[in-house]
Amino acid sequence: MSVLRLENLKYKYPASSRFALNDISFTVEKGEFVGIVGMNTAGKTTLCYALSGLVPHFFKGAYGGDVYIGDMDVLTHEISEITANVGLVFENPFSQMTGAKFTVYDEIAFGLENQGIPRDVMHERIRESMRLLDIEELQEKNPFSLSGGQMQRVAIASVIAMKPDVLILDEPTSQLDPEGTEEVFHVIEKLAQEGMTIIMAEQKMEKLAEYADRILLMHNGKLIEDGTPEEIFSRDDLNDFGVEPPVYAKIARTLGMRDDATGLYPISLTQMPANLDIQFAPEVESRLKEKDTAELIVRNLHFGYEKGQDVINGLNVSLQGEPIAIIGQNGAGKTTFVKLLKALLKPDAGEIELDGTLISKTTAAALASRIGLIFQNPNDQIFKNTVIDEVMFGPLNIGQSKEEALANANKMLTLVGLLEKADENPYDLSLAERKMVAMASILAMNTDVVIFDEPTIGQDSRGKAKVKEIIDLLYEQGKLVICILHDMDFVAETFGRTIIFSNGKMLFDGLTRTAFAQEEALRIARVEQPHITKLVRSLGYEQIVLKESEFLARSTAGN
Amino acid sequence: MNNMTLYVQRDSPVHRVDPLTKLLFVFISIASTYLVSDHLVVLGILLFTFAILLTGKVFKSILPVIGVSFLLIASIIIVQGFFHPDRTTVLFEVGPFSIYKEGFSIAFLITLRVVNMVSAFGVLILTTKPDDLVEALLQKGLSPRFGYVLLSVLQIIPQMVALTGKITDAQRARGMETEGGLWMRFKSFLPLLGPVVLNSLTETRERSIALEIRGFNRKGKRTFLNETEDYRYGIPLRIALVAFFITVIVWRVIS
Amino acid sequence: MKKKRMWTLQFSTAAIVLIPAAVGINFLGKLFASVLKLPLWVDAIGTVLASMLAGPIVGAIVGIVNNIVYGFTTDPVSFVYAITQAAIGIAAGIMAYKGWISNVGKAIVLGLVVGFIAAIVSTPLNIIFWEGTTSNVWGDALFAIMLAKDMPLWLASFADSIVVDVPDKVVTVLLSFLIFKGLPKNVKLMYDNSGEIERL
Repeated sequence: MSVLRLENLKYKYPASSRFALNDISFTVEKGEFVGIVGMNTAGKTTLCYALSGLVPHFFKGAYGGDVYIGDMDVLTHEISEITANVGLVFENPFSQMTGAKFTVYDEIAFGLENQGIPRDVMHERIRESMRLLDIEELQEKNPFSLSGGQMQRVAIASVIAMKPDVLILDEPTSQLDPEGTEEVFHVIEKLAQEGMTIIMAEQKMEKLAEYADRILLMHNGKLIEDGTPEEIFSRDDLNDFGVEPPVYAKIARTLGMRDDATGLYPISLTQMPANLDIQFAPEVESRLKEKDTAELIVRNLHFGYEKGQDVINGLNVSLQGEPIAIIGQNGAGKTTFVKLLKALLKPDAGEIELDGTLISKTTAAALASRIGLIFQNPNDQIFKNTVIDEVMFGPLNIGQSKEEALANANKMLTLVGLLEKADENPYDLSLAERKMVAMASILAMNTDVVIFDEPTIGQDSRGKAKVKEIIDLLYEQGKLVICILHDMDFVAETFGRTIIFSNGKMLFDGLTRTAFAQEEALRIARVEQPHITKLVRSLGYEQIVLKESEFLARSTAGN
Repeated sequence: MNNMTLYVQRDSPVHRVDPLTKLLFVFISIASTYLVSDHLVVLGILLFTFAILLTGKVFKSILPVIGVSFLLIASIIIVQGFFHPDRTTVLFEVGPFSIYKEGFSIAFLITLRVVNMVSAFGVLILTTKPDDLVEALLQKGLSPRFGYVLLSVLQIIPQMVALTGKITDAQRARGMETEGGLWMRFKSFLPLLGPVVLNSLTETRERSIALEIRGFNRKGKRTFLNETEDYRYGIPLRIALVAFFITVIVWRVIS
Repeated sequence: MKKKRMWTLQFSTAAIVLIPAAVGINFLGKLFASVLKLPLWVDAIGTVLASMLAGPIVGAIVGIVNNIVYGFTTDPVSFVYAITQAAIGIAAGIMAYKGWISNVGKAIVLGLVVGFIAAIVSTPLNIIFWEGTTSNVWGDALFAIMLAKDMPLWLASFADSIVVDVPDKVVTVLLSFLIFKGLPKNVKLMYDNSGEIERL
């Protein structure tokens, strides 16, 4: 019998007229790994809720069709009975910690205590799931003191310990940095190899192409196709669903490498034909026009939160001209650096000059009209009842008139694509949309310098394209753009100049193409090359390739 | 991380007494000082409480906690000393004001009671981990849902406090001033508190889901990971406390 | 938004999880008020919000837990006032349920009522435990003046509490009202326990 079976599932949230899930049917067999793809509004999360009984029992609303877990009908059973068989892990690692347990070991025990598992079995299961998730050394730590990646593994361990038949993962890495992402994918791979039945919604298509037996493509609450990864990623209309194929399939498409017999593209390295001969476009670096922007000059900058521990250690750099990416692992000092630029922190030594004036002589609030800083987490700033009021808060603070602020806010909401949601409550939007609101709220202040801290985290491929468009536009308007990023594919696509940060120092500052050739610096900064660069390298070419458009043609040796 | 509690880690006999007995002590110690209005008896109870704090090696830690109540004590001494309704005997004069013996005597009594109240709670708070107390209450039949509430408060508040720096940065980055006139400062209150409130209320949804997934609402028997700790002398101590309390009540009734 | 039952003791998981969050909000309200050097405590916003969202009983529990936790972590004297906080939660919960949060004017009345109730409950506590003072400078000054004019202790103490509690609670309730009005739909819906599953 199948582990999971959906028959014509339909669902509407309360007070909503739209079907979040519309006529969905599929089955999952034991040991399968099923991926779910689609854009942020496709209904992936709702589907995950429906598979674990939260829809309809927790959310209520209108429910049609049936979901069976084994032979258990979801509608007639309580959540606690359903989740004994289905484990769910979702995006935000922080809110999955119960908050009532002071060690990782006890945290994992929470579900087992509720289930009334005998004490000796409990200890056994906790140890087993800690071993599976590689978190044995964390067992005495407070869950809230962990990194995102560690917390997410604790969340998975807590669910696994309850011995579910199916594990459902709803974008488990979307709020994690690359290191945390790798940690989590590593254990997911391990679980899959142990024969666990897994259903995973995910934006990182390379990973799905690697693990999934089947992929469900969703759009507007409908199941568009249920097929193999090759079938899904070879679809010509993938873009219409806001899904970017994995980089191998993308390159294969650019090079026209469709298999004539099956009509499919290769989606992983092993499927690439061995006898390729790829031609590359000549390397063109400069942009259409070099623009004059504001200029930030940093001289001998030092800063530490505690005495004797410099987070920023003697920086000298001039920031001006085309958009600049700052990369490097967590704790390298990137966010501290931009806070210094914005005068939210005071340097211990050294100085920062904006167009010839020392910024140490001004306050953050006064600097607000010159330098805009968009923080990583929009929830740290949003407090107004409507999107438009939120976006107008900054402009009004820096002395724009009401009309001016409204005009700017409308313009920026149009730019980020949220004008029609201007009167909604920001917290009724998705996190990805709230990030866009926070972005608009800074852009509406119309500053000469715009600094982004991780704008692409949690965005789907359309969101990322939007961010790129905004960065390009800001440069067009003659603004200086500085951007902290973990997403190297995005860096390669978008930025001409890249700074590699490590331990409060710059390891490299120069052309992005050259940056990704600095193998030693990248290793020290613990940054990987972009997927496309790695791919070209693994095919045996020496070139540093950054974009698809740099592939010209191929001639296969046989032809 | 767990900087919410005043608990002081020591190896002492008081630390080894079970939390419920200490809870009983707190109640009886405070109630006795309010049942009796004899200065010497109240002083005696206070000294006894101090002795327990000393045995628990936490006497130094109670001083800042008493310090928090300084304003309360000061206002009691001043207001009662000068203005208590039963003022007849002048103790001494300060300029145009007189301190009265009756008021001062009452102020002194209340001060002893307040210090004893704080110290008696100190015996519980300084020598007991909050999770041990909740665990003990849970095993005595406190609803697990209420136990969850008590424990999670201690974990969640530090998380929320940690947010404050980020929020302040984010709003200052948008040109909000946190200094200036009263109205200016008042206007900054909502931009600072708003994100915390909205975040934590929105988060209740995800946390509810997380708890539901882990069987929080399951009916039926639960088990405990940790075994009941074996505290010694629990029963005799409690008998002694109750006996003392009955004596106080009887004494109060007959005198 | 009408709730089906005001006095239910069947707490949903969402209501349980609301309690620690509301206590945290109280805590941070107080913290920000002191950072901004505001002349008020504003330390009951979470209690009032919880009452508005989930009814008087949850509000009362928030109030009690708030003072227990505050007593445990900062100032044991606040154990005494757990009862006052509970009364605030109950009063705000009942009146919110009866519709006293439909506009600003009503919210001000709600604030006044909550302030008076807080004062009524605090007065006997203040008299029992410390012969009537509140340790608020302005309130205690009034208390001293009234005693000097030979007014009765209970009246002086009550006036002391009124001066302390009413302005603070009016501001607290107004701020809570503003926040409550601006809460997103998905939060309000979660606490509207009238929801049923509709079978399509």
